Amino acid sequence: MDTLNYIILVPMVYFSFAVFVAGVLYRIAAILKKPSITIPLNVYPQKKPAWLHALADTFLMPAVFKAKPVMWFFLIVFHASIFLLIIGHIELIHSFSIFQIIEHDIFLGRGFVGLTLFISLLYFLFRRFSSNARNLSVPEDYFLLILLLLTIILGSELDWARTWFGYQEMTVDGYQTYLKSMLLFKPDISDVTYSGHTFMLVFHVFFANLFILFFPFSKMMHAIFTIPLNKIRRG
Amino acid sequence: MEENLREKLLKAFEGKLTKTIAMYLETCSRCGICTTSCHVFNSMPRPEYSPAARAEVVRRLYKKYFKLQGKFWPSLGEAKPLDDTALDDLDRAAYSCTGCRRCMTFCPFGIDTQQIMSIAKLILVAAHAEPEILSMLADVSISKGESIDLIKQGFIDGLERLEGEVVEKWKIDAEKIPIPTEVQEADILYVALAGAHSIIPSAAIFNAACENWTLSFFEAVNFGAFVGDPGKTRLIMDRIINEANRLNVKEVCICECGTAFRVLKQMSGKQSFKISSITEVHARYIREKRIKLEKNRFKGIITYHDPCQIARNAGIMDEPRYIIKHLTDNFTDLSKKPEENWCCGGGGGLVAMGQDSHDFRMKSSKVKADQVKATHASILVTACENCHSQLSDLNKYYKMGVEVKFLSSMVADSLI
Ligand code: HEM
Ligand code: SF4
Ligand code: SF4
Repeated sequence: MDTLNYIILVPMVYFSFAVFVAGVLYRIAAILKKPSITIPLNVYPQKKPAWLHALADTFLMPAVFKAKPVMWFFLIVFHASIFLLIIGHIELIHSFSIFQIIEHDIFLGRGFVGLTLFISLLYFLFRRFSSNARNLSVPEDYFLLILLLLTIILGSELDWARTWFGYQEMTVDGYQTYLKSMLLFKPDISDVTYSGHTFMLVFHVFFANLFILFFPFSKMMHAIFTIPLNKIRRG
Repeated sequence: MEENLREKLLKAFEGKLTKTIAMYLETCSRCGICTTSCHVFNSMPRPEYSPAARAEVVRRLYKKYFKLQGKFWPSLGEAKPLDDTALDDLDRAAYSCTGCRRCMTFCPFGIDTQQIMSIAKLILVAAHAEPEILSMLADVSISKGESIDLIKQGFIDGLERLEGEVVEKWKIDAEKIPIPTEVQEADILYVALAGAHSIIPSAAIFNAACENWTLSFFEAVNFGAFVGDPGKTRLIMDRIINEANRLNVKEVCICECGTAFRVLKQMSGKQSFKISSITEVHARYIREKRIKLEKNRFKGIITYHDPCQIARNAGIMDEPRYIIKHLTDNFTDLSKKPEENWCCGGGGGLVAMGQDSHDFRMKSSKVKADQVKATHASILVTACENCHSQLSDLNKYYKMGVEVKFLSSMVADSLI
C-alpha cells in the first residue's frame, strides 16, 4: 500500500507533469512548424480593435450566450471555477497574501468551487446524452468528463470532510510540505500519508494525473488554441 | 482501396494542413453549439448535418493518420481509416455543406467548417471521386480560356447583338461604344458571367456613370473553387489577373457572383489594381452622384438576401442597403444582423450541380423559405448569380410568392 501511495504521489506526478509540459509544447511547436494559410479567414463585419473583440469572444463567449444561454451559464461557471481551482492549488504550494483579499482558510469559495464544478460537469455529462450532443460525442468526451468528475468529487471531499467531521489531520500545512518538497525535487509525503484520509488524496491525485497526462493529446488543447482561433475569426 | 492511392490522398490531406487548419482540427470540443446554426440541419434535423458532424468525418481521418491519440488509442476518438466508405462519407459531408460559414460565427472557437470541407473536397478530387459535373464545368471554363483567340471574334459578335438592347433601353449617346472591350488603361475591367442579364444592366449603369470601362473576355465564375481544386481555381483566377495586367486597368469589378468575388479578392494576393464587387461600384456611383435613381419605381415590400460569400465572408453589407435606400422606402431586412442571414442553400457548387442536387437543395433550405415568407415581401433582391438561381427555385418549390431580382438590374431599371 505504501509503495502504491508513493508511486502515485511522487513518480507518477512527476511523469504526468513532464508529459503535460512537453506534450503541450510539442503540440504548439508542431502547429507553428506548419505553413501559414495565405487567405484571410475572418468573418465580417469587422470590429476594431480586433484583438480586444477576440479576447472578449474567448472569455465571454457572446455567441454561445445568444444561441444557448443555459449552456453559456454553465460554461462560464465551469471555466471561472477552473481558474479559481488553479489559484487554490497554487495556495497548496505556498500562501500568497494577494489571494487572501477575500480571507479564507483553504481554497477561495469555501468548497463552493468544487460544488459548482461538480454541478457543471454533471450538466456537461448529461447534456451529452440528449440526442443532438450524443450523436456528436465520441468516447474521449465522456472519458474526460468522467475523469474530471472523479477528480473533483475526491478533491472536494478532501476539503469538505475536514469541515464536516472536524478533522485536524491533513491540513493546508501538510499539503504545503508535500507539494513544496515535490517542487524542490526532495519528495516528502510523510505529512499526507499518515491519516485514514490518505486514500482519498491518492485517488484524487491519481485521476488528476491521468487528466493532465491525457491533456496534450486530447481536445483539451482548446484551452490554448482558442485564443489564436478567435483572433483569426476577428481578423 | 489500394495502398498507393491512399498514400496519394493522404499527401493531398497533408498539403492542406496549415497552422490554422491544424488548429481547427485539433480544437473542436463537440459541444454542438454550431448544430442549430446550419440551415441544412435546421431544415432537415439529421445528426450528420450538424457542422461538427461534417467536420468530424475529416477529423476522424486526421486522428488516424496525423495524431498520436489515433495511433495509440483509435477507439477513443473514433479514428477511422481512409477507405472507400470514408470517401462516401466525405462526399456526403462536403456536398451537403454550402460553405456559408454561418456556423463559425456561433462556434466558441470560431472553427471554419468550410475550410475543413475543403480538405474533404480535395481528397475527393485526388481520388477522382468528385461530382463529375463540377470538374467538367471547370475544365470547359479553362479550355475556353486557353483558346481565347479563337473565340474572341464570336464573343465580340455576340456582344454586338446585346449592344442594340443596351442602346434601345437606356438611350446612350450614339458615339459611345455601348459594350467596350480591350480598352487599354481602362479605369474598370468588368468581369461578367456568360449571359445577357449579367452584361446588359451593368453596361447601362457604367455608361450612365460615364465610366471608362472595358468588358473582360472571361467569365467570372470559378468552378475550380466549387469543386475544391486549388490548381483549377488558380488557373481560372489567373486569366482575369493576366488580362487586368495586360490592359493595365485600375480596378477589376466582379459581377454579381459571390464565389468569383471572394476568390479574387482574398486569394489573388497583392495586385496593382483594386478589386471590387459591382455592388460596391454602384454604391460609389450613387454616393458620388454619378448616377441618379428614381425612387419607388418598384412597388411593394423589398427585401435583400445577403449572399454569404459577399456579406459574411467578404464584408459587403452596408453597400447594398445604401443602394436599396435609393430604390425604395419600403425595405425590410431578412434577419436582424446581415451576418446571421440564412444561406440560400445553393452555395459550394450545389446550384452548379443542377438537377442532381435539386431535391437536396430544396429540402435543406426550408428555413430560408420561411424566413423570406415572414417578411411578406413582394420583391426578393440579391447580388449573386448562384443565390438568384437557388432563390428562384425555392420561390417555385415553396410558393414564396416573391419576384426574385438582381440588385444591378433594379439599379439599371431605375436609372434616370
Ligand atoms: C479561455 C479559454 C477557454 C474557452 C473559450 C473554453 C471553451 C470551452 C467550451 C466551449 C467547452 C464546451 C463544453 C462542452 O464540450 O460541452 C469547453 C469545455 C471544457 N473546457 Fe474549456 N475553454 C477554455 C479554457 C479551458 C481551460 C484552461 C481548461 C482547463 C482545464 C478547460 C477545460 C474544459 C473542460 C474540462 C471542458 C469539458 C469538456 C466537455 O464538456 O466534454 N477549458 N471549454
Ligand atoms: S458552412 Fe454553412 S452549410 Fe456548411 S456546415 Fe456551416 S452552416 Fe452548414
Ligand atoms: S460549436 Fe465549434 S467546438 Fe462546438 S461542436 Fe461546433 S465546431 Fe465543435
